[in-house]
Amino acid sequence: MKKISIYRPSTVDEAIQILSQHGTEAGVYAGGTDLLIRLKNRLHQAPTYLVDIKTIDNLRYIKEDAQGGVEIGAATKLAELADSRLLQDKYPMLVEAVNKISSPELRNASTLGGDLLQEVWCQYLRGGYSCWRNGGYLCYGAIGDNSYYHSAMGGRLCYAVYPGDAATALIPFDARAKLATPQGLKELSIEQLVPGDMMVDGRIQSHVVRFNEILTSVFIPPPKPGLRASFEKLRPRGVWDFAMASLAISLQLRGKTIDDARVVFGGISGKPYRETTVESFLKGKTLSAELGEQAISVALANAAPLKYNATKIDMAKGLLASGLARLNA
Amino acid sequence: MQTIEGLLLDPVGCLAEFPSGPFHEVAVRLFERKGKASRSGSRSYWHLLNLIEAAGVPLEGQRKNLAESLEAEAVADASIYEDVLPVLAELRTMGIRLFIASSLSRSAVTNFIERGSLGEFLSGIWTRDDRLPGAAEGVKSAPLLAALGGASLPPDKAMFLTDTAEGIKAARIAGVHPILMMNDPDEARRLAMHKPAGGVVSLHEIPDFIRLIVAQNKSRAE
Repeated sequence: MKKISIYRPSTVDEAIQILSQHGTEAGVYAGGTDLLIRLKNRLHQAPTYLVDIKTIDNLRYIKEDAQGGVEIGAATKLAELADSRLLQDKYPMLVEAVNKISSPELRNASTLGGDLLQEVWCQYLRGGYSCWRNGGYLCYGAIGDNSYYHSAMGGRLCYAVYPGDAATALIPFDARAKLATPQGLKELSIEQLVPGDMMVDGRIQSHVVRFNEILTSVFIPPPKPGLRASFEKLRPRGVWDFAMASLAISLQLRGKTIDDARVVFGGISGKPYRETTVESFLKGKTLSAELGEQAISVALANAAPLKYNATKIDMAKGLLASGLARLNA
Repeated sequence: MQTIEGLLLDPVGCLAEFPSGPFHEVAVRLFERKGKASRSGSRSYWHLLNLIEAAGVPLEGQRKNLAESLEAEAVADASIYEDVLPVLAELRTMGIRLFIASSLSRSAVTNFIERGSLGEFLSGIWTRDDRLPGAAEGVKSAPLLAALGGASLPPDKAMFLTDTAEGIKAARIAGVHPILMMNDPDEARRLAMHKPAGGVVSLHEIPDFIRLIVAQNKSRAE
């Protein structure tokens, strides 16, 4: 492992100052379940200067505001989200999704911010191949084994899938991310935060956070009455694994009539993939046992699987049918 | 990698899928090559270039006419990739100079450019029939060297797109960055062993590739 320096700032402003000083050589260190593994695997792209934000005390909380929305500090552990009564009562689908992220041990260490902004888990990147995200100019996943960790919906230079589950589950609630930047506070939707395969500061990354910016919190608006949501995830093993395909779906219901819908697939694309065609299809429909079959007929029409991962699309469609069936039960 | 200023393009395998048969037939009739034609038009083309280069003398007279007539067939049957026109237009907008640097004959290249309406995007055309005075011999890398010399383009600021091992080698001889067109994943996996400077799944990734290099150089300079 290369030599690293760790800073322990006590405020967000101080952290931003340190990040600005070291440029892309520095990285935010919170739970460490992604960053430390990249260092251990000797990845060229891993930072040399770690800015430990665990020592900043106002980044770890779950609190409700006066309007009934909930704000979660970026350094809050996933286990704390999973155990939160408040989140369980207001957004049970989010808690269900968090409980399906890796293992209990890792949820005790991983943070919400880390899950949202984690690096991809492509085996070629993690194996130290000189790919787009690791100092090179080629995607080995596009030409190698792409059955698990690569996009079936096309790519932009890098074909790895966005691995996080929290973002997929937060989008149906129209959650927003707050970032501290040298210019002040910035607010983005979760979709804007992780648009997939972005070129930021000369790097390919799944999110838009610049080298000198810090994700500080996520705000989830209050759920409207009649909102029902479900999270489904398929993975090679019951714990540990990332999604082969996942689905977060929410329906705004009036009786059995769908007034609004959010359909977000995970594990199939370089970003949480919002399937707006299915959302439009569902609007105005009556929730019924047959709706799933009808919905999958219009889903993911622009799929572009690689050689070995067409099955991800079948899985995603299957999840759509089972998710709708679950919400109808 | 240095900021890229120019792109060298060979129509075969880079801008279009060519049939294998005509190149194989030239190899059979002029060089007594035996065996079946490769399924890949690019591979047959580069095999033919190997044979021409190994013979050590340029094609002339009837041999030249035969090769050119079969190349004309290949051009007529080539399927131009659908992203070629928008990508070339985008690259031109970005200020990237585009050159054809091909070991096809001039007549074949001219026909190809006309077929694809590519002329307006190109800053120069170099074929196996064009050599700068005193330029190195070698049918494979000579058009690349001629293009670089003719355009005063520094080789480390140029890319050559190719989908064969021979193309990678020719680019290295010319000093330009060989970029692998990963048209077929299995073939590309083998070719990645030849350590190209980069690789793209399709031509539409080239503008982003060049933008990334610009961003990386800017980030390093800061």
